[in-house]
Amino acid sequence: MRVSLFITCLGDIFYSKVGKDTVEVLERLGCEVDFPESQTCCGQPAFNSGYQENAKQVAKIMILAFEHSEYVVAPSGSCISMFHEYPSLFKDDPEWKGKASDLVDKSYEFTQFLVEVLKVENVGAFFNGRATYHRSCHMTRLLGVKDAPIALLENVKGLEIRELPNCQNCCGFGGTFSVKMGPISEQMVDEKVKNIEETEADVLIGADSGCLMNIGGRINRQGKPIQVLHIAEVLNSGNWE
Amino acid sequence: MPMKIGTEEFNSRVEKGINDGFMREAVRSAQGRLYERRLNAAEELGNWEEWRNHGEEIRRHTLENLDYYLEQLSDNVAERGGHVFFAETAEEANTYIQNVVKKKNGRKVIKSKSMVTEEISMNQALERIGCEVIESDLGEYILQIDDHDPPSHIVVPALHKNKSQIRDVFREKLGYLNTEKPEELTLFAREKLRKEFLSADIGITGCNFAVAESGSISLVTNEGNARLATTLPKTQITVMGMERIVPTWEDLDVMVSLLSRSAVGQKLTTYVTGLTGTRDDGDGDGPEDFHLVIVDNGRSKILGTEFQEALHCIRCAACINVCPVYRHVGGHGYGSIYPGPIGAVLSPLLGGYENYKELPFASTLCAACTEACPVKIPLHELLNKHRRRIVEEEGMSPAMERMAMKGFQYGAGSPVLYKIGTKLAPLLTTPFVTEGMITNGPGPIRPWTETRNLPEPNKERFRDWFRKREREAKTDG
Amino acid sequence: MGEKKIHNKESFLKNISLQLGRSKPVQVERPVWKHQPQWEVHKGASKQELVEILKKQCMLNHTDFYETDSDHLTELIEDTIGKYEGKSAAVWEDPRFDEYGITEYFNEKCSDGTFSYHRWDPKLGEQNIVLTEKADVGITFSDMTLAESGTVVLMSGNGKGRSISLLPVTYIAIIPKSTIVPRMSQATREIHQKIEKGEKVVSCVNFISGPSNSADIEMNLVVGVHGPIKATYIVVADK
Repeated sequence: MRVSLFITCLGDIFYSKVGKDTVEVLERLGCEVDFPESQTCCGQPAFNSGYQENAKQVAKIMILAFEHSEYVVAPSGSCISMFHEYPSLFKDDPEWKGKASDLVDKSYEFTQFLVEVLKVENVGAFFNGRATYHRSCHMTRLLGVKDAPIALLENVKGLEIRELPNCQNCCGFGGTFSVKMGPISEQMVDEKVKNIEETEADVLIGADSGCLMNIGGRINRQGKPIQVLHIAEVLNSGNWE
Repeated sequence: MPMKIGTEEFNSRVEKGINDGFMREAVRSAQGRLYERRLNAAEELGNWEEWRNHGEEIRRHTLENLDYYLEQLSDNVAERGGHVFFAETAEEANTYIQNVVKKKNGRKVIKSKSMVTEEISMNQALERIGCEVIESDLGEYILQIDDHDPPSHIVVPALHKNKSQIRDVFREKLGYLNTEKPEELTLFAREKLRKEFLSADIGITGCNFAVAESGSISLVTNEGNARLATTLPKTQITVMGMERIVPTWEDLDVMVSLLSRSAVGQKLTTYVTGLTGTRDDGDGDGPEDFHLVIVDNGRSKILGTEFQEALHCIRCAACINVCPVYRHVGGHGYGSIYPGPIGAVLSPLLGGYENYKELPFASTLCAACTEACPVKIPLHELLNKHRRRIVEEEGMSPAMERMAMKGFQYGAGSPVLYKIGTKLAPLLTTPFVTEGMITNGPGPIRPWTETRNLPEPNKERFRDWFRKREREAKTDG
Repeated sequence: MGEKKIHNKESFLKNISLQLGRSKPVQVERPVWKHQPQWEVHKGASKQELVEILKKQCMLNHTDFYETDSDHLTELIEDTIGKYEGKSAAVWEDPRFDEYGITEYFNEKCSDGTFSYHRWDPKLGEQNIVLTEKADVGITFSDMTLAESGTVVLMSGNGKGRSISLLPVTYIAIIPKSTIVPRMSQATREIHQKIEKGEKVVSCVNFISGPSNSADIEMNLVVGVHGPIKATYIVVADK
């Protein structure tokens, strides 16, 4: 099965390890992974700030980048859910709207792809630790991917998952919200960190780099001994040789 | 009080909210309780999504045919001896209500909870003609006694107050002598207000849903105050936002069921009352004279636009009760009697962007509101539509931001520029990095690093690694 | 008559019509709804099962619940009034009070002067409200009863004053078993069908699920606010 990786801009710039782990997990499960070079960003920073015209230009680049892909997989629910906005972005342009819908139909968030397309819930990973999982809002509510990451984590040997209090609450990232509405964002991420601490977990796992950059950035600032990992990193842990 | 509360700027309102420890604790605990209750009430039905779909289809159909159903409603009210006044503006509504009160020689008005009367500042209009107006919903009564403190929640208006504050207000203003126990405070209010109910000339209510097919109005409460206000006074005036209507009693059932479960997690509130016209011969109680005031006040401008779904709202506050932003800033932070997600959608529509342009941006678009809404209003999408309007149509976004977004468009809109930009990122940020983290970033990064660290950009981007790996694989092969 | 009943309608509705893309309101048929989950609730439940559901919900509603037959009904009423320390009662003018022997019971109870009761009488006008307000216990029959929500439905008119279930500090509802239906949908459907047949809906339909209450102070539930503070629902086998 041929899979085109959409690394996302945060993944490309800040979290290349997440990308590497994603590639390795997919390859181990028999996928042939390619990386269309002309991909950039999903356009969400502009779209969610009200700049839809600007977002449209970026969306076109992405549609073209993946035009010939069989499947598109990204280690981010939020960026894939942004693809789902493309058809309405081009609602007055039938040609681009059609292309946008094609992209939506073949795009999956990483864990969603593993469970729904590859039908794999156990990737054979081993990770020794006590962790809690942050369910990202866009991934769960907009993309509707709730159970896949949990199912995958439950099958990781050595991993204990603690329930996160108020897990339904947003971490306060919200893209440009985090800088535009700094004081509110700070309160939200503080409460999230507090809830994570209450679980006494050593590791926070998430499936969206935006949320993890936010929560991790706050944890790091406060000097708390909690490791922050993307789910791809956990699923690629173990003795593979 | 009008829709807009206070004169403070958005940022100072937010700061005030964040620093109000009691309020935040109260909101946090209320959200927790209401979240559980609503979830249980939804889950026990087993097919909540079907209920939401049903609620949505009823609201959509009704709003699409609002002119027809309002005409049917008004004809049926008149048929049953009531008067109907269609008010395009707040002023028209208030003038009509003032005239009814004057004609009845009304000195004392007893009111049950109504958001639309707040929106049009009806109390003040009646006080101007020398009429005493008494709020009878316990929460509203507390706020009124406390020098008209504005409500901070549409279902639990005094959510921001604690019981000792309430005791102090009752002591100072009403000579209350007992403790801060909610039971004692409530009993005191009951006795005070019962006298007012018995002596009021006029009862004024809001309307949860009017029923077009029979000209009825329905009132949904737990306290019983709306029943008293429509049973004892000789004259009843009901004020409704023009969208608060259902076609038939069958549809009323569905909307009231959704409202009760979503607002307070009850199967039905203690009292659901359907009132039709004036009292019948042989009733012995109920109003002899009934006036229905149907208010537009900016709502019709929303019809037929991309925001029409905002008028589907049934004022259950489920979106408020799950909103993480409301959780931290509280109701007063919104500067409107309509707070939370629905408030951030509705306030700019009714009160203009000049007053409320920040509200649509005060959201992470986490969609908790959309998920909670019993009639499936896509609240987070409507917030984003506001953002687009504010930026692209009103041109109200800051110049710096417009430039940055233009830059983003060029950068992310061109694979070549994007590659150059991402390549340069580590170089540009190097001076600010200590131990792999940026703790005090320059320019646009600053607001982020005020509270959080930022990881340094990778020296080797993912794409560099991938290409290298591909090359190596080729030479190996 | 002669006084205009509807004001400002034409311009107001025309504005709405224009916003909705037409020049005036057009007649619409209410569609057959795609989703109708309400009919699934307690579908096929027997009468006795509905009684059990009602009982469970009454507990949750802070409502005392009893089931009895018509022979023991007045005994139960006597006990409940005793429990409420009631010295006076207000009741509807409703033939069911005679049928179930309650009128006779009250006449007897009042004979020694330690108890008084007021039977709603439209001819007395406002005096009804004054007397009802003074009563310790209000008693009505239920016209329809909703199992799911623990609700009695009261239809006003013909001697059935709204105040009886509202003003006294305690309230007793007598529920003939035959009036129990699964939920609100059955009651509103009946009202809707009557309207479709051209019948008049009564001026006040009350759905009452227990004593009044409020959680307006720090979200603490307080039972007993503006309406009754205590309530008892008695299911009685039909006579």
